[in-house]
Amino acid sequence: MERFPFSAAARLLLCIIVPGLSMPAVAYAQTAQMQTPDPTAAGKAVFAKANCMGCHKWHGNGGGGYGGDALSLRKTELTREQIIETVGCGRPGTGMPFFTRGAYDEVKCYSMNRQDAGAQMPPEAGTFLRAKDVEAVADYVIAHIKGAGEPNYAECVGFFSSGSRVCDIYKTQEQKPDTTVSTGKSQ
Amino acid sequence: MKQLSGHARFSAQASLLAIALASGVMFAAAPLAAADQVNQERLLNVQKEPGNWLHHHQNYAGHRFSTLKDINRDTVKNLKVAWTMHLGGVEGGGIWSHGGLEGTPIAENGFLYVTDGWGSVYKIDARGGTGVMVWKMDPKTDRDWAGAVACCGVDNRGVALWGDLVISHTLDGRLIATNKETGQVAWQRTVADPDKGEVITGAPLIVKNMAITGVAGAEYGIRGWIAATDLSTQKEVWRTHTIPGKGEPGSETWKDNNNAAAAGGGSTWVTGTYDPATDTIIWGVGNPGPDWDNAYRPGDNLYTDSSLALDATTGKIKWHYQHTPNDPYDYDSVAENVLVDIPGPSGPLKLALEADRNGFAYAIDRTNGKFVWGLPFVKKVTWTKGLDAETGKPIEYDPNKAVQTYNAEVTPSRTNKETDICPGNMGGKNWPPTAYNPDLKLWYIPVIESCNRIKVEEMTPDKLKPREFWTGGGPSQPFKITGSVTAIDVTTGKIAGKMETPFPNLGGILATPDLIFTGQPSGEVHALDAKSLQKLWEFNTGGGVNAPPMTFSVDGKQYVAILVGLGGAWDKWFIDSTPELKRIQPGSMLYVFAL
Repeated sequence: MERFPFSAAARLLLCIIVPGLSMPAVAYAQTAQMQTPDPTAAGKAVFAKANCMGCHKWHGNGGGGYGGDALSLRKTELTREQIIETVGCGRPGTGMPFFTRGAYDEVKCYSMNRQDAGAQMPPEAGTFLRAKDVEAVADYVIAHIKGAGEPNYAECVGFFSSGSRVCDIYKTQEQKPDTTVSTGKSQ
Repeated sequence: MKQLSGHARFSAQASLLAIALASGVMFAAAPLAAADQVNQERLLNVQKEPGNWLHHHQNYAGHRFSTLKDINRDTVKNLKVAWTMHLGGVEGGGIWSHGGLEGTPIAENGFLYVTDGWGSVYKIDARGGTGVMVWKMDPKTDRDWAGAVACCGVDNRGVALWGDLVISHTLDGRLIATNKETGQVAWQRTVADPDKGEVITGAPLIVKNMAITGVAGAEYGIRGWIAATDLSTQKEVWRTHTIPGKGEPGSETWKDNNNAAAAGGGSTWVTGTYDPATDTIIWGVGNPGPDWDNAYRPGDNLYTDSSLALDATTGKIKWHYQHTPNDPYDYDSVAENVLVDIPGPSGPLKLALEADRNGFAYAIDRTNGKFVWGLPFVKKVTWTKGLDAETGKPIEYDPNKAVQTYNAEVTPSRTNKETDICPGNMGGKNWPPTAYNPDLKLWYIPVIESCNRIKVEEMTPDKLKPREFWTGGGPSQPFKITGSVTAIDVTTGKIAGKMETPFPNLGGILATPDLIFTGQPSGEVHALDAKSLQKLWEFNTGGGVNAPPMTFSVDGKQYVAILVGLGGAWDKWFIDSTPELKRIQPGSMLYVFAL
């Protein structure tokens, strides 16, 4: 569950302020831009901005841990419409928050208002999403996450588009040689 | 790294001047050049420089007690903000939307050294009644890499000083030595590996030219360790695993066929203490993994949930004391061991005190690891009926049983898959440090008075994946959680007082001769009477206190300093137990108070 959504914006701002320090990331982003644009890129941005990854992780597999069990979006059987509803209205009785402004007030969710939901009322998300953004994130989940197998290196690099070593564990043996520059000893 | 060179030049000169002026008082016998060089002699004798705060836990014994007493029972009502400083590090990364501040400032000769959650180190000139930033060292922590496997927040608990270096850790596993004057990185070494789920949040402990590092990651299937790095050669001197390898003593306490020990947890993320008389490091060890499915790992699971005594020179284990064998609750024993000597019937008792996540405070004879006394320091304990008076083990503990059930009615297990436990899995007492007043022989515990609900997930070896949670279930928060400061009379092993608070104590405690200082995640910093625990002073910082207060003096004036910025595990995972704290905004601020 996420309450403080400004961090993505703060990071962007940081990149602008200190471009000299983020050269590898900038260089990588340019390479990525030269490839065919992905129509679900907007949804990926929403996935990050709304901090879906705070519980479902970047790969959508969710998992247990201190936050209880965020469901696996890779194994989900929800349709596009059901995903849109779940994002907008949350999941009553769980930690999955609602992202639509006015949900359970002006907008009934699962035929319930706030009073009907009572103790089952899901938490309010840290940021509200426009209907278009909810659709975009659903399209992204359908295109890139739902039904996908185990997370892999290409998928991880595609998600982060940065110089982070977050994806290194997904590298296959052939992809490993350049890990020597990633040991953190080089500064 | 950001270098404010103008200030640096100015302050270097000013610092020489200050030392020259102060030398007549504080360093009469010391050569001038040595005053700013931290060596073992100074670390052993911090009582000779009461205006400074050189160790993470104030002294090697972990007392967090300052003899400074200008701010006292009579004057504390006049305590006011002297100055504040905004710091950075609130940015998110990995699964975290923002960082927080959990560090203890280090003070030396009028300069403060503090960290933010991402491991940036700030040197601040605190002379002249104001704070001026001298330099900031930004280690460029790999946020997504480390933040994705930090179970409990973007945290860094502070630095240590050695020679002309500031020694610090980063969440992404590095030990960094920064030149104290220039803020330039002198060298750095990778100690922990986030690819294995390892991160570092604790401050280093410096012992005899070595930096001692602990690791976090028991929720991600690590095999824990404590490591010593030689600060001259930058090489590892020793690394002692907290879970024995195959055939080593203690390996017989992992009785499964899953090789559970290889991912058995036992993290060490709170800075330990050091007894120079016996050259012994005493360090707490965290929970076994998977946290709540103890049937996956039958046996006592040494040395998880234990206090470990290590030979400081070799890292060899001298003794251990385990608090919760085959733990099914996530009851880490990672807390600091406070080293205390008190008169006993046949000579002085040399104790190691530990306030455990499981809700019990323990006194162990630190010469041999034997139990002396133990008592619950929380209001409610349900998982056991109490401790055996001889051994200190939970009375339901059965050494012949492979899987412990303790009070089976409430204990999470494969047959009791949803259950409520007290204390909840945060404790009891978590990382926020205790303090000890050696005059009053009172030991002050920052308490989380809690219960929570545990759901068990039965684990199988195929569920163990690198960089993924390995917890065997998870907690939820259907109950309101409060807190207290609880004082224990170390001479009797009895509770001497309890000051209850509306919120859990997530910051820790500072003791002075007749006061203690502490804070609340709702924003207040408190000064309490050391004996009665009566509140004598309060200031609301407007942020969330998630770090310990400390005190120092400069220009002959005493200050109290505290970092403010709610982060850590609480406001992501446990906030539902304290719904009022949802209004607390992330922040990053240093508050300094004076009369």
